Amino acid sequence: MPSCKQLAILVTVGLLALPAQADETCNSPYTTRLIKGQEHYLHVWTLGIQGVGDGSDKLVTIDVMPGSKTFGKVVHQLSVGGRGEAHHMGFTDDRKHLWAGRLDDNKIFVFDVGTDPARPKLTHTIADFSAKTGYVGPHTFYALPGRMLIQALSNSKDHSGVTGMAVYNNRGQYVAKYDMPLGDLPIGKGDGYGYDIGINPQKNVLLTSSFTGWTNYMMDMGKLINDAEAMKRFGGTMALWDLKSMKPQKVLSVPGSPLEIRWSLKEGDNWAITATALTSKIWLVKQDAAGQWQAKDVATIGDPAKIPLPVDISITADGKGLWVNTFMDGKTRYFDLSDPEAPKQTYEKVTGKQVNMVSQSWDGKRVYITSSLLANWDKKGDMDEQVLRMFNWDGKELTQVFEVDFKAQNLGRAHHMKFSAKAGGSTAQTAGSVRFAGR
Amino acid sequence: MNRRDAAVAMAAACKSPAAMIAAVTGTASVAAAQFEPGKGLTGLPRQDFTPPPAGSYRLPVIQPSPSGLVLEGDRWPRRLSAYTTGAITLLGFVYTYCSDPVGCPLAFAAMVDVRERIARLPQLRNRARLVSLSFDPTHDTPAAMQAYGGEHARTLAPRWHFITTASMSRLAPILAGLGQDAEVERNADGTPTRVITHVLKVFLLDPRGRVREIYSAAFLMPEVIVNDMLTLALETDAAS
Repeated sequence: MPSCKQLAILVTVGLLALPAQADETCNSPYTTRLIKGQEHYLHVWTLGIQGVGDGSDKLVTIDVMPGSKTFGKVVHQLSVGGRGEAHHMGFTDDRKHLWAGRLDDNKIFVFDVGTDPARPKLTHTIADFSAKTGYVGPHTFYALPGRMLIQALSNSKDHSGVTGMAVYNNRGQYVAKYDMPLGDLPIGKGDGYGYDIGINPQKNVLLTSSFTGWTNYMMDMGKLINDAEAMKRFGGTMALWDLKSMKPQKVLSVPGSPLEIRWSLKEGDNWAITATALTSKIWLVKQDAAGQWQAKDVATIGDPAKIPLPVDISITADGKGLWVNTFMDGKTRYFDLSDPEAPKQTYEKVTGKQVNMVSQSWDGKRVYITSSLLANWDKKGDMDEQVLRMFNWDGKELTQVFEVDFKAQNLGRAHHMKFSAKAGGSTAQTAGSVRFAGR
Repeated sequence: MNRRDAAVAMAAACKSPAAMIAAVTGTASVAAAQFEPGKGLTGLPRQDFTPPPAGSYRLPVIQPSPSGLVLEGDRWPRRLSAYTTGAITLLGFVYTYCSDPVGCPLAFAAMVDVRERIARLPQLRNRARLVSLSFDPTHDTPAAMQAYGGEHARTLAPRWHFITTASMSRLAPILAGLGQDAEVERNADGTPTRVITHVLKVFLLDPRGRVREIYSAAFLMPEVIVNDMLTLALETDAAS
């Protein structure tokens, strides 16, 4: 234990960090042990491809520690069996376990990444999600203290986009469910759809967004685009919830399928940002002068007529910048968010033939991108590139440092990413970040 | 207060949870709980909302509480259930030498604030309790826990129990049962330090001993906690 004198020294030199409002810029504010220094490993939730390797969905772990003998290499892979549309992941509040969902068969895999992050272990599989909730497509995994809030995309009755959220405790036991607002309600017209979750504890506000149901996300992309009726079945709302009571308070109209939600991490900021997939817009959610929450279209991403399809965003820790990945043109764009009412694009680069997820380190100096959107939505033939790429960002230019070719290495489709660090590792502590007693 | 002042104050005041918190009060660079005797916890985490009315919402059952044997003062060992059932219970883990100002001292300060609020509420005063259970049975003997609790361990309405266990083997199942992580932090060479790394969690249990809410640092808002306790009291009244 540091002595009081040692603590005083830590305070003086500024090493005694505070609990931040979020994980490495995009996760639940209740996830602890932030990696503000150098991440050691990158875990990629990977979709199996028939005929490629063992064909199974798997958790792939890559060493991202500069100077390591295996830097930029796959150091571990853990197949979970079968293909069920592997999609997103989320840490438990203590960051010891990583929950990873599949949108087709609704299985949720819980990996131990705390004991040895270089070699995650599958501890258990939750197979009752649909039976317990009636929902389909466990998408977003958002830590709450001692439990996980899970946003689904669809339902088992008609496989439309009408869905809800479920809570499981950290042991993997069902706790509760909450339907998304649907129909003409006093709080607005709800479409019942769901996608992402973002919580602002200070305001007791939970914000949700909306995508589409199983029928659409499992459909071939080419077929979907040419199906006018199917294209109508996308969400166009965000819902504002009272977090404590888990009751929706207001439905905001946000046409074009708002996807990822990012609250500004800057202390004192109480606004969130999202991007709409179909209309290629950035929307700001904040309170007006009367204290009422409003959603406002504040910027355009590329040429909406060409449907660049913004699919993921990553906000900087200071709330001043936003990375946006657009799937169709393979571009990674940077927006200056200094004025969140008027974001301005200041940079863009083609980072792949198709790009989906984008994740940045806490200090913003490292940016990682992956390629897969959904198994049936990924491009075909030579354009179906499956990679993880890591870039350095100096504020002016993205410079590629390494690439892992997921097809060449018989891994599959690279989708969601999460960072981890060695337990008690010196890097995180000496590089200005910290693991602390008592949090 | 600047960083240097904060450091000096902290170095001089590492004697009690409240003193630790007070030492860093008002620092810009090292914001921490603002705790004032009589006023309670007024700093972190910031609460910028009015909670929904007590009883207007439901707290789902998150998990059962575990069983075990614990020690309090010079009493014979008792079942943990004596401290987790029969009343609305707020339970948190501490270790007496924890010096992270946003760790155990923050939880302690929040519980002091909650206790002061409960004492003013006839609906809760005699049907709620607080429990602080030690992470470190080796160091935190029953006597050490009583000393840590000070006057809080001796006052009534509501009671605040400062308890420990006989050994790590007695404690471990309780930690696991509640889902409270804890590990001794190690130096770079692998030698253990005296820091017990853990996620700050305070558990709210209903009179049946079921966990109905868990508060981590971002949720540690005394007004909200008391509101939740009132909600459980109303639920219990309705059920009976």
